[in-house]
Amino acid sequence: MAQVIIQGFLLSGLYALIAVGFTMIFSVGRVLNLAYGVYIMLGGYVYYVAVQILSLPKFPSFLLAGLAGIVFGVLTYLVLVKRFEKDPIAVEISTLILAVVMQAVIVLIFSTAPRSMWPLIPGRFEVFGVSILKNILFATAVSWVVLGSLMVFIHKTHIGRAIRAVSMDAKGAAVSGIDPHRINLVTWALSGVLGAIAGVFFATYTQLDPGMWVFPLITAVAVVIVGGIGSIIGSLIAAHIIGFMEVATTTWISADLRGVFTMALIIVVLVVAPKGLLGKAEL
Amino acid sequence: MGTNRMTLVSIMATTALFVAGVLCSPVTMAAKDPVVVGYIGSFDSDTGKSTIRGAEIAIEELNAAGGVLGGRQIKLVKADTREDVTEGIKAYEYLAETEKVDFIISGSIDDVSLSWLPRMAEYKIPTLDTWTSYVGIIDMVVNEYDKYKMYFMNVACDYALATLYVDFGKDILADKMGWKTTVVLQEDTAFGGGVFELVDQMLAPEAGIEIIDHIVYDTNTVDFSPIFSKAAESKPDFIYLISSVRSQVPSSQYVKLQVPVPMTGINVAAFGKDFWNDTGQMGGGTSTLSPIPSVGFAMDDRTQAFVEKYEAKYGSSRPIFPHFNGFNAYYGMYNAFNAAERAGGFAPLDAWVTEMENEDLKIYKDGKLWLRYGFWKPGEIEPRTNREYTHNIKFDITQPLDDGAPSMVVIQWYEDGSTAVVYPEKYANGEFGVPSWIK
Repeated sequence: MAQVIIQGFLLSGLYALIAVGFTMIFSVGRVLNLAYGVYIMLGGYVYYVAVQILSLPKFPSFLLAGLAGIVFGVLTYLVLVKRFEKDPIAVEISTLILAVVMQAVIVLIFSTAPRSMWPLIPGRFEVFGVSILKNILFATAVSWVVLGSLMVFIHKTHIGRAIRAVSMDAKGAAVSGIDPHRINLVTWALSGVLGAIAGVFFATYTQLDPGMWVFPLITAVAVVIVGGIGSIIGSLIAAHIIGFMEVATTTWISADLRGVFTMALIIVVLVVAPKGLLGKAEL
Repeated sequence: MGTNRMTLVSIMATTALFVAGVLCSPVTMAAKDPVVVGYIGSFDSDTGKSTIRGAEIAIEELNAAGGVLGGRQIKLVKADTREDVTEGIKAYEYLAETEKVDFIISGSIDDVSLSWLPRMAEYKIPTLDTWTSYVGIIDMVVNEYDKYKMYFMNVACDYALATLYVDFGKDILADKMGWKTTVVLQEDTAFGGGVFELVDQMLAPEAGIEIIDHIVYDTNTVDFSPIFSKAAESKPDFIYLISSVRSQVPSSQYVKLQVPVPMTGINVAAFGKDFWNDTGQMGGGTSTLSPIPSVGFAMDDRTQAFVEKYEAKYGSSRPIFPHFNGFNAYYGMYNAFNAAERAGGFAPLDAWVTEMENEDLKIYKDGKLWLRYGFWKPGEIEPRTNREYTHNIKFDITQPLDDGAPSMVVIQWYEDGSTAVVYPEKYANGEFGVPSWIK
């Protein structure tokens, strides 16, 4: 039981960090960015190259990964999303194609072999006989700090209020003097950096490989659907539900069925509560 | 006189033109057409590349020596399976129908080989599998010989791997280390299931090791912490890992988590030198069964020469050292073409099959039979398991292993990145050990 609680809590923190960037895009731009997983992959690979190939210090490498996320997020918006903004289906298809293309690029450069990354904080300790990696504990702590900061940013800053306004009604916001395109640019940049940061933690916890964008994307979609569009608190709650249940499934039922619960939960929520736990019109 | 000379010159010129025409005719040119060898397997994986490169080096040597089958050069064509069963079928069809290959060398994984086997039976193309070890395929050759006789597998099948591994379990894990219980951690693949079945049937009765839990995981699993926690909770003496796909993942997470239980078994990623960097230099303390030759394996002169050619040709491009199937591809090409020379070609099929069954390439080191690339013939019974392994490599699983190559060795990775073979005794050049964090 202690194992399920502790490991579930740690994993949930990582899932919340993964999902928050996706939540922002979905809530503000009402766009299903299927290339979101690429930001996670990119963050991981950039950090890996910086630290383990170029031997750069960890913190600047972390910033570099974040910068890569910003650039890629902004480029995704400018090159694809803005072009197809009137056609959501086209946006979904084009972002999915982008993800597949990026996977192929990663294969060309790094091959298909998974790579292990050194942890950000090495070492482990035990609590009630359960092994805890310092790296994942750090990721959980960072996720709470990021989510808290995001809440403050969204509710207390001028740009944050502008983002909320655009998420409620883009046209109304425009009439009020807010430039929706500039806000979208900021949102996509934020999503990119959040994804990249999550990618560094995700890759140091699991591994790097060209297909690593798929699992976080599914997790992010699940968290947003279950938690509710537009709700950061909802995403946090959903991440914990999914994290705990995955660990419980693996521990008490079967490791093979780990992902099945997440899929089943998505279907149940869509049927019973389509808006999710705390879904609302705006952030 | 002048007229006679003119006539003579005309006759000579005409004759010269005629001879030139014959020499350049399509019939004559056909005799110098290349022999086409098809590679089927992944282009991107270390496994696939090992087979491709082993075959390439053998082809270069054979071509440089004047070619084969009357001076014909060998041409290698390739079809990518992407380690996908559907792509595997399409790849085989492409090689058969578009490239019209004479012989196929495979670096496919087990599931993919199973997918194209029916196509092989239809097209009747001589085929050598260098990586797949699924005993079910050998059973198909045994039970439906006429249908599958064109198939040869030059890595010891799962049954042979598991049998010698059980000896390792008894001699080292049980007798030397005193371990009596294990949790099996198995990937959800045909290979994983096949090996588990054999281990389950043999480990307890023969080695006296009890399987107290059996955990099956999806090959796309990214987070092994709950899995390792569950395994450790049963308090086994060791964890037995069966992993052929993305094995770096459980390996490196085992080290990161510093799982307090020793782990050994089958870890395909640990077969190659790239394992060390892939695990972020965190692969120490891992041990695995491996077909031979392998990292840590003492090479005879001929095999060492192949390794040196490989390293000179491919440099730092991964895999930086051939996996066992790279060696299988290299020697397998010689087997296949030696058989073809004696049979007069790859067709008719029966003649080539008979000669391939007669192939028996023995390699010695310090006066001892060290490696052997020959095949079990139809009806031949392996004495220890009392069963047939028609067209499987002629492995030896009876101590003192002096009748051929063993089906496997156990490789140990140490925490400084070095490797050694720790079992069987004839091939051992190091000691079995556990990670330093395990007390």
